[in-house]
Amino acid sequence: MNRVLRPSVVMLLSLACYGVLLGPFCAYMKQKPVEEKLGYVPSATLLRYLATDQKEFVAASLVMKTVMYYGGIAEKQQTNVVVAPPDLPAMSRLLHGAVKLDPYNMDAYYFAQSFLTWDAKQYKLANNLMDYGMKYRTWDWYLPFFAGFNSAYFLKDYSAAARYYQKAGELSGSDLSRLLAGRYLQESGQTGLAIAYLTVMEKGETNEAMKRNYHIRLTAFREVHRIEVARDRFKEAKGIVPTTVEQLILGGFLVPPPVDPYGGTFYLEPDGKVATTSKFAFAGVKNEKRQHTGE
Amino acid sequence: MNAIDISGLCKQFKGKKMTRVDALKNLDLQIVPGEVFGYLGPNGAGKSTTIKCLMGLIRPTAGTATIMGEPVGSVASRTKVGFLPENPAFYDYLSAEEYLRFVGKTFRMPEALLSRRTDETLKLLELWDARKRPMRGYSKGMVQRVGLAQTMIHDPDLYILDEPMSGLDPIGRALVKEIILDLKKRGKSVFFSTHITDDVEKVCDRVGVIVKGQLEALDSVENIVRKGIEGYIVQTRLGQGEHDSLKGFNITRRNETFVEYFVPVAGFNEFIALAGHHSVEVTLVETKRKDLESFFLEIVRKGNS
Amino acid sequence: MLNIMAISLKGIFRDRIFQGIMGLAVLFLFIPSAASLSMRQVTELSITLSLSLISFIMLLLAVFLGATSIWKDIERRYTYSILSLPLSRTAYLLGRFLGIALFMLLTALFLGGVAMLAIKVASVLYPPARPVLWIAVLASILYGTLKYILLVAVSMLLATVSTSFFLPVFGTICTYLAGSITQQVYDYLHTPAAVKAISPIMKQAALFFYYLLPNLSAFDLKVNAIYALPLNASGLLMTALYFIVYTSVLLAAGAILLGRREMK
Repeated sequence: MNRVLRPSVVMLLSLACYGVLLGPFCAYMKQKPVEEKLGYVPSATLLRYLATDQKEFVAASLVMKTVMYYGGIAEKQQTNVVVAPPDLPAMSRLLHGAVKLDPYNMDAYYFAQSFLTWDAKQYKLANNLMDYGMKYRTWDWYLPFFAGFNSAYFLKDYSAAARYYQKAGELSGSDLSRLLAGRYLQESGQTGLAIAYLTVMEKGETNEAMKRNYHIRLTAFREVHRIEVARDRFKEAKGIVPTTVEQLILGGFLVPPPVDPYGGTFYLEPDGKVATTSKFAFAGVKNEKRQHTGE
Repeated sequence: MNAIDISGLCKQFKGKKMTRVDALKNLDLQIVPGEVFGYLGPNGAGKSTTIKCLMGLIRPTAGTATIMGEPVGSVASRTKVGFLPENPAFYDYLSAEEYLRFVGKTFRMPEALLSRRTDETLKLLELWDARKRPMRGYSKGMVQRVGLAQTMIHDPDLYILDEPMSGLDPIGRALVKEIILDLKKRGKSVFFSTHITDDVEKVCDRVGVIVKGQLEALDSVENIVRKGIEGYIVQTRLGQGEHDSLKGFNITRRNETFVEYFVPVAGFNEFIALAGHHSVEVTLVETKRKDLESFFLEIVRKGNS
Repeated sequence: MLNIMAISLKGIFRDRIFQGIMGLAVLFLFIPSAASLSMRQVTELSITLSLSLISFIMLLLAVFLGATSIWKDIERRYTYSILSLPLSRTAYLLGRFLGIALFMLLTALFLGGVAMLAIKVASVLYPPARPVLWIAVLASILYGTLKYILLVAVSMLLATVSTSFFLPVFGTICTYLAGSITQQVYDYLHTPAAVKAISPIMKQAALFFYYLLPNLSAFDLKVNAIYALPLNASGLLMTALYFIVYTSVLLAAGAILLGRREMK
């Protein structure tokens, strides 16, 4: 009897302890600092040696880790939960490591493009990465497409953009890139360029968090586009340049009033450019708010 | 051609701290066809070393040995032998039947013969009921019997058995003795090692005793028995003839009706003559001899000193 | 030899190793859904995961089957009964090796089939930008298997001289790690930076190991399989020849060493 009873008692006690411990343990893991969660990944050179014949798998796991990490933060931001902004340099490091292990990994390029540009504003770094990828993914039109957009929209390097778009057009065999190539030349075409780019991105996206991310950005740019159109019509009708968005709304040029999905407020810069207090990012609003409360 | 021919066989093992241990010292031994040879020796004397050299499991340091004319260590030398290792172990995921079939195939037996022999040997060694079970579940005695079965499957002319009786109960021992005697009847050669003298006396033609790697004795069982006679126990009836005439002989026992004398071999004729002359009635003569056990112990003692 | 091969194979199956593999193969069911986490390369990720899983299982098999087969025979004293049969030690070693190699091939066939199903499902649900190059997937699985069979030969060679379980197991793992990176080290040595930084003696030593150790990276065709990159036919042929020659050398060395070994 004892042979069964005693271990059973110990077992039940241990299980009970496990149950009690589980809650605090999970809470601890949940609140672990971001850096720890993303993990300190050894240098890519070292990983390359350690990964033996599992390089592609290790690369894919690095990308997955980054995506999950970012996805978790993005989801909270989208539901207006206050969280620390993602650690963009660490994410960049991980993705660079990933493509060193597997230079063909498209997820890494794609994801790096999405946050290095809008969020981290590392346009040059993004384009270097795309150049690196193009050496391997010789058939892929997305990489020159990304690089072309970055060159045109962010870097304002139009000759480079033309080169990239040319390449993307050749590889894709579609008119899309050529269409874009026509737009970037005018300053006013910038918003349209962004909308076209974001539409392509949103359509091809399978990851829910990322798709929502694109959707929100696209919505914001569509609003910007509406304001731009209203601004130009206002100028045509009244002969003067409007200084505030409210003017456009009151004048009936902007119905319904624009809503920034990032939670900011649109305004017109002195040169007439449309801007928003959110700076097209959830973190942007918070920074603003923090500044306000700080004052 | 001898079944086994060993000449000048030496084996050195490397011991600890660069020392060398002589496991076999210059062994010469011949086993003739049809002979049952008992290889006696205490534990660690070199019996298994000799057998492992014969089976090519270890290489002799010096000397040569042949089995059926083939040098040991060659595949050919092993084709005509049935070998039972000491405390044998076989692939225990196989059943006895599967293992026997595997061994038979290794000896390139034709399929029909193999099937027949497998059934026969399984029945002979009383493994028939367990033949389909994996050997993992066998008792020690059963494994030992599988070991014997696999030596017999291909009906070789020579059997080399290392401690064939170990791990067997008395019934198993009797069975093995019977099998060895049967092999002898069929003209097979058997070379087996043991440290149990009783086994040897019943079945062997010749015995060799090895002590500390050296062959200390080699003789036929018959000779040993004869040489072992120390004298006779002679019983005479009291109350008849003159017993005083036999005063020169030691009395080992006496009661109201009998006297027992110990008569050395050399004095036997004299004793009989005296008894006849003095009308002493001899009622019983018994040979008094050392048994194989004491013969063995004596040799071992001599070899160790 | 074929006889030994047959009972080796029987032994592996009786030890329920194949059941264990079938249990692990359940993981393939999750591959399509796990791969759908990818943003841009679901099919590619499903191929990556499938090939990695196969590779991992085969590595475990190679290390443990290769290292334990001969070692166990010696340790459990099966060698007394087996090697005293009219069977050369070379035939015994080859039989054991072929039994394991055949089992690895069967396992690869089974896992490969399951993996290809998983990849097919993923590619139907999320059509890839470039169609799956099935021949490359097959080649990758086949060459992966060859690589691990070569590792079996390494572990058996180590087992012929070892009295313990550790040398074959850890020796094989080390060979696997080292063999996977020798090419990278070699490539690095030929970069201008390394030419300046590395002393000639070090370089000679590294080159020595490069030629001594098996070059396992040659067998890695995962990138071709995952990203549908064309295969290099002459390279494949060369690698196959390399496998045959290197494995033969290992087995010959193993046969020599086992032939000299004393079964005390």
